[in-house]
This record gives sequence, structure tokens and C-alpha cells, in this order.
Amino acid sequence: MISRRAALVAGGSTAAVVAAGGTGYLVATHDKPEPLSPPSVNADGKLLWRNWSGIQTAYPSARLAPRDEGELASMLKTATAPVRPVGAGHSFTALAPTSGSLLSLDSLSGVISWEGDEALVLAGTRLGALGPALAEKGRAMANLPDINKQSLAGALATATHGTGSKLQALHGDVTGLRLVTPDGRVIDCSADSNAEVFQAARVSLGALGVISQVRLKTIPNRRIRRRVWIEPFQDALAKAEARWAQHRNFEFYAVPFTGLAVGISHDETDDPAQARGADQDSAFLDALKGLRNLLGFSTPLRKAAARALLASAKPETAVDEGWKLLSTERPVRFNEMEFHLPADRQLKVLEEVVATLEKERPDVFFPIEVRRIASDDAWLSPFQGGARGSVAVHTHYKDDFAFLYELIEPIFRRHGGRPHWGKLHTLKDQQLAALYPRWEDFLKVRAELDPQGRMLNPYLKGLFGLV
Amino acid sequence: MRAVLSAIAAILLLAACGEKPPVAPTPEQALLLKPADPRLAGLYETSCKACHAAPDTGAPQVHDRAAWDPRWKQGEAVLLDHTIQGYKAMPASGQCATCAPDDFKGLIRFMAGREDPA
Repeated sequence: MISRRAALVAGGSTAAVVAAGGTGYLVATHDKPEPLSPPSVNADGKLLWRNWSGIQTAYPSARLAPRDEGELASMLKTATAPVRPVGAGHSFTALAPTSGSLLSLDSLSGVISWEGDEALVLAGTRLGALGPALAEKGRAMANLPDINKQSLAGALATATHGTGSKLQALHGDVTGLRLVTPDGRVIDCSADSNAEVFQAARVSLGALGVISQVRLKTIPNRRIRRRVWIEPFQDALAKAEARWAQHRNFEFYAVPFTGLAVGISHDETDDPAQARGADQDSAFLDALKGLRNLLGFSTPLRKAAARALLASAKPETAVDEGWKLLSTERPVRFNEMEFHLPADRQLKVLEEVVATLEKERPDVFFPIEVRRIASDDAWLSPFQGGARGSVAVHTHYKDDFAFLYELIEPIFRRHGGRPHWGKLHTLKDQQLAALYPRWEDFLKVRAELDPQGRMLNPYLKGLFGLV
Repeated sequence: MRAVLSAIAAILLLAACGEKPPVAPTPEQALLLKPADPRLAGLYETSCKACHAAPDTGAPQVHDRAAWDPRWKQGEAVLLDHTIQGYKAMPASGQCATCAPDDFKGLIRFMAGREDPA
């Protein structure tokens, strides 16, 4: 239902542009060309690497793909520094770029074995492949992020999370891991063995070495019911806390310049599978972009048109196994800033962010994602010490994102937000030390495991206050 | 004369039929396709299949010649550059950090249904 309306909006904007002639075209043409990029091969013959959104680039002198843990250990000992592990390249921060060695764990993929209901998983396994692998045993991850392209190691390194007030981020399911240090040592750690390394390594930005395998808690692979609906933004705000308490997973998207929100809930069910249907997200985004292009000059008109076209869309329902529904395809690339706020300030911050965007940035059309995450105790977990509520602002990959630093980050910081490690932010060193009680402990473990800083690129040196 | 024209027409018709791209695989068939080369098959599974064997993504689907042929006409160099740089919904390198240019060429040929250069 949403997609049909989206098509009408997208088509309508084209028709209106043609009808309005040149002036209309100027109003509507907010679509930008492909961003400029460096050459595919540099003067030294090295191949370009870019992250998913395209804003991070590098020409690594070596690209390493160890086939097993032994090869990983020997590669780490001799690789040209900085050695940076990379997964699916979904981080928007400069965690992966290196002029030295870019190391992929793509060959270390799959479930190795089971210990009861805990799975021993190779760390290069992509989340999208982990779901069906666990399902073969009738098990599943307790929660998943909304994109499943990431490697398990990359998702853990950046404290990647889903949503649900009783559900922790992915690293909350880790009961043990194996870390290969830059000098080739292999360290098994858990809460009972090498506990300090474990608490540091569960969320460690790929800065301590390379995690080769992970022991994961799993849950029974149940079917869940997914509901998606549109409602007034103020209703979404008023009902959010009750919904987080009620649903296994709940999140919503505030849609700026529409006065609307999109709610998404997931709950366990024994009902038979019900097909999810074709992807609606891209069509919805096209509709929002069409509204921006056509009516970006007038927020009242844009809101009125959005309500008329989108507010009465019928809710959508699907039933399937959790790993098939919790993550979705995100075929439209974007850049993103997400901060994790004290839960009791989340909605107030959201309101301020929406008001700021609607006052200052009519070019924004992406919905703002609002999630809730349970607490854990990993030292660099943004959820350490208490539940957090996340607010994520996106911009189309062709659009300006500098305003995120200028307008949005100050709001997040004023309310004690901790940045998502893989998403845009400017925090470093003492600013982070003030947010993380175990920051110095982490830096101490890092220095012990990598005294020469072979895992540190310039970005990480700055982050850790080592420049 | 009529017989000659008929023969020419038949040849042209056959030629036209020969140019028609093969029928695209169904989504179920697409999921089973993979390159014959084991290395390429591994790279395809990890980096390409999630979008190029999933119709909802908008990516040209594997062995869908109707979708690939207009792209193929741009030439291998253009397709390779788009792959390395990223283009529209396609992320740079298909997020394959260890793919070399020859890997990309092989993967493009496979997905475009052009594995046999002849």
C-alpha cells in the first residue's frame, strides 16, 4: 500500500516538474550527481577501497585474506602496518582505511561447532549467512541489526545493535572469543578466563588484534510477527515507552517534514508464515524524496501533501522466522550519525532533532530511526551502565552530511549521548574518557596487546589520544 | 525469387531469434547459480549474491540478460570502474575487500551471463 502511494508521489513530482517548466525544474532538482571520488587505481598501482556509503577511501599496500587462524597469526606478525581488519565496510567512521594492510576475514566463515545451545562461530561470518546456519540447528540470534551484510567481527567491534528494551546489542550474546594479537599470539578469553581482555575485546574497534572466532548464546528459532504502520508523530512519541514495554522488538522512524512516524514491531507467534511481500522501503524513500524535490520550498505544503498521500496507508503484516524479518535490505545508500542516549532523554532529544531539521535543513528527507537497547558491561559498549535509547539521522549518500556535525551532534552531546562507533561523530580521547568509566582500562589493555600500535591507523590514534 | 526472399526472411527471423536474450532465471533458480571457478564462487557468495540474486534490491539479477545487456554494451572498462567506485545503489567493490580487478571482471561476466566470451 505504501509503495503504490510512493509511486504516485514519485510520478507526480515528475509530472509537476514538466508542467511547471524551468522554474519547477530548479525547485525539483535537488538530486545531486555522484560524489567525486579518487581514481580507481592510484599512481602506485594500488586499488581503491571505499566504504559502503563511499565517504571513506584508501589505497592499501596489501590486501590479506587468511584462510585459517594459523595463517591469520602468521600474517599479523609480518603484515605492513597499519593492519586494519575490514568486514562489509559498513562503518562511516575511518575505522578501516589504511595505507598498510587491509585484512578480510571473509574466508573464516561459518559455524565451527556447538557447545549445548552456544555456537562457536568463525568471526568473518556475515550476519546474513549466520541466520540460516543457526536455523539448521533450530536456533537463532536473540536480536539482529536492521542490516545483515556486516561480518560478525565487524558488528561486534562497533557495538552494532538491534532494538528491544530487554535485548542487548550483539556483543551481549558473546560468552567467549579468541583474539589473535598483532604479534601472532592466540588468546582465548571469557568472563572467567583472561577476563580483562574479554571485557575489552567484546567491543574493541579492531584495535586489539583480530578476533578469529566467537562463542555465541542462541535462542530457539521462533517465528515472529512483523507489523509496520504509519501514524502521527505525536502519537508515536506518546506511545513509545508503552510499546517498548509491550513488544519483543519495537522501533519507530520519525519522518521529518511530514508530521508522521512509521512504527515497526516484532513479536513471537505460532501463527503460520505469512509472506512479507516486496520491499516497500525504497518506494517510501522515493516518495519522501519526491516530496522534498517538489515542495521543499514550503514545509507546510510538504507536510500537508505527505499527510494526504501517506497517513492513511494500511498497516503491513508478515510472519516468518526472526532472522528473515529483523534485518531488511537497504538498497539506498546513506551516511548516518547515531548516538545512544540515556533512555529517559531519548524522546526529548528526538523532538529537538526533528524541530532543528525542520527549521534548518529542508533538504533532509530520510526518516530518523529510534531504537532502545538493554544494558551490558563491555568496557567500550555504549550501553555499558544502563539502557540506552538511540536516535539515528541519515542523509542520502549524494547529499551533504556536514550539518550532522554542526547541528545534530551538539544536541546529542548536550544530553550525554555516546556515539555509535561505526557512525559519524567527532568525539575523541578525553571526550570519550568522560563518557566511558573503563576508558583508561581499555587503553591499558590495548597498550599491552599492541605496544607498537600496529593496529592503529591515524583515525584510531586520534580517537585514543595517541597523537 | 519468392523462394529466395522466403529463405532470406527465414534466416533473418532465425538471426533475430538468436539475438533475443535467454529467459531470465526465476528467483528460485537464481539462488542456485554460482560461478564455475571455486574462487569466484566464494567471492560471489559473500559479496554479490545478497543483492544480485534478490529481486527486491533493484540490482540486475544474475543471468538476467535483459537487465544486463544494456549495461554490458557500456563496455567492460566502464562496468569495472562502476564496480570499484560504487555506482548508485551498488556499493564500492560490492564490499569485497579482497577482490582484484580480474575477480571483478570474472564476476561481472558471470552475472551478465557472458561467461563464454565467444
